Amino acid sequence: MTCLIAKDLTYSYSRQSKPVLEEVSVALRPGTLTALVGPNGAGKSTLLNLLQGQNKPDKGEITIDGNALFNNRPQVALMPQRGKLNWSFPITVEGLVSLGRVNHSKLSCCEIEATLQRVGISHLAKRRLDSLSGGQQQRALLAKTLISPAKILLLDEPCSALDPPAREEFLLIIRQLADAGLSLFVSSHDWGSSLNAYDKVVALDKTVLANGSPQEVQQKLDSIDCMRGNYCCG
Amino acid sequence: MSLINTIWWIIPLIITIFTGSLCPAMGTVLITHKRLLQVNLISHCVLPGLALAMALGVDPSIGGVISGLMGALAAESLANKKNENYAAVMNTILAGSLGLGVLLIPLLGIRIDLEAVLFGDLLTANAGDLLRTLIAFCTFICLIFFNYNKIVHIGLDPEGAAASGVKVSYLNLALGFTTALVIVSSMSAVGVILVIALLSTPTLLGLQKASSLRIAMVRSSIVGLAISVLGFVFSIIFNLSPGPLISVICVTSLIFLLNKK
Repeated sequence: MTCLIAKDLTYSYSRQSKPVLEEVSVALRPGTLTALVGPNGAGKSTLLNLLQGQNKPDKGEITIDGNALFNNRPQVALMPQRGKLNWSFPITVEGLVSLGRVNHSKLSCCEIEATLQRVGISHLAKRRLDSLSGGQQQRALLAKTLISPAKILLLDEPCSALDPPAREEFLLIIRQLADAGLSLFVSSHDWGSSLNAYDKVVALDKTVLANGSPQEVQQKLDSIDCMRGNYCCG
Repeated sequence: MSLINTIWWIIPLIITIFTGSLCPAMGTVLITHKRLLQVNLISHCVLPGLALAMALGVDPSIGGVISGLMGALAAESLANKKNENYAAVMNTILAGSLGLGVLLIPLLGIRIDLEAVLFGDLLTANAGDLLRTLIAFCTFICLIFFNYNKIVHIGLDPEGAAASGVKVSYLNLALGFTTALVIVSSMSAVGVILVIALLSTPTLLGLQKASSLRIAMVRSSIVGLAISVLGFVFSIIFNLSPGPLISVICVTSLIFLLNKK
């Protein structure tokens, strides 16, 4: 069972600029659904990029089962924010999913279908990506992430463009994935009751403000004046 | 009968067929990667290289590809910086490159048919032009054949592609090089300026409801081939310049099909 531990991560985009993350520590354990919450500019996407190995931290270390992340990058997959994708690209849902293994082993159409079934859109396999609704597109993107050999999935604001029913359905799917043994780390602006769907919550604003169960984190943040209003959008 | 008995049109026709199918296929990749402005820059950057190569007694296409590639590198560098005035900077470089090319011709004292370079002169194309076209065609086929999935991944999700180990900069450079090669090779058919029409119009038609990049490329190529051959035939019948004629047919077919839609 794969376990990711990040310890005292500090990162800045250039030597001259101030750090966007300071001494951030998180642990992602198998079968756990963890939320990463914080305001705009808190460093959520930056942290996810570090955990995926796209960037290297200035200080601190990231290990997977005690080994350096660098040697275990295929164990971690990142589902990017919606805005980073070219949704008008001519590709079908199954074409998108197959890209999840571009640099890894070959996959069969059965694997693609099974993955699409896990996220509930196997009937849309032949549809072009830009003909889907926002919620279906997010599920397709999740399937692409899911088909990679990774056991740790980092999802960058997957619910940001979804209406409440679609958000609930998406949360249900990722809950099932966590129950199946995967480790999911999901960034979100949503600081409402939907956080109760998660096992753990990490509140970030350049550094970790709170870390624990949804109730524990809620209580701790309520005691910090600056958090009130800033975070609440749920 | 005299047209059939003489073979002067064989080489121009073969070039028409290859250029007519190659440019739209290349255009499909570039448009889906949102790189058409960069193509425009490359096509304008070709001229100074052509002029310099001629002055140095080197094959003009080599100079054209090198300066086109420099344009591609400049475009890549600008795109990576994500400057909000990126398009304006690109257009300035584009105009400057064209101006430099036009200035170099009298300054270096070289003889060059500027009109033929900019707008094509298909009916006087020779074996050298055909060879250039075939080299560009083979380069493009190799690029697509060996890197299709990676090119799709970069077009859809460049950061995700980089994260999964795809060498995005290397592939973008290869795309830039192939684009420069395609533009230089299509110089004889439609010229470095009018090539944009052949890169864009068939692609816009081929992309409609295409379920993959591969299908879009094939469709675009078929449309481009039909437009080019039609332009070639009309240019012989009406004794007109094929490059501008192909461009006009491109626009006409676009208007016709968009109205039909």
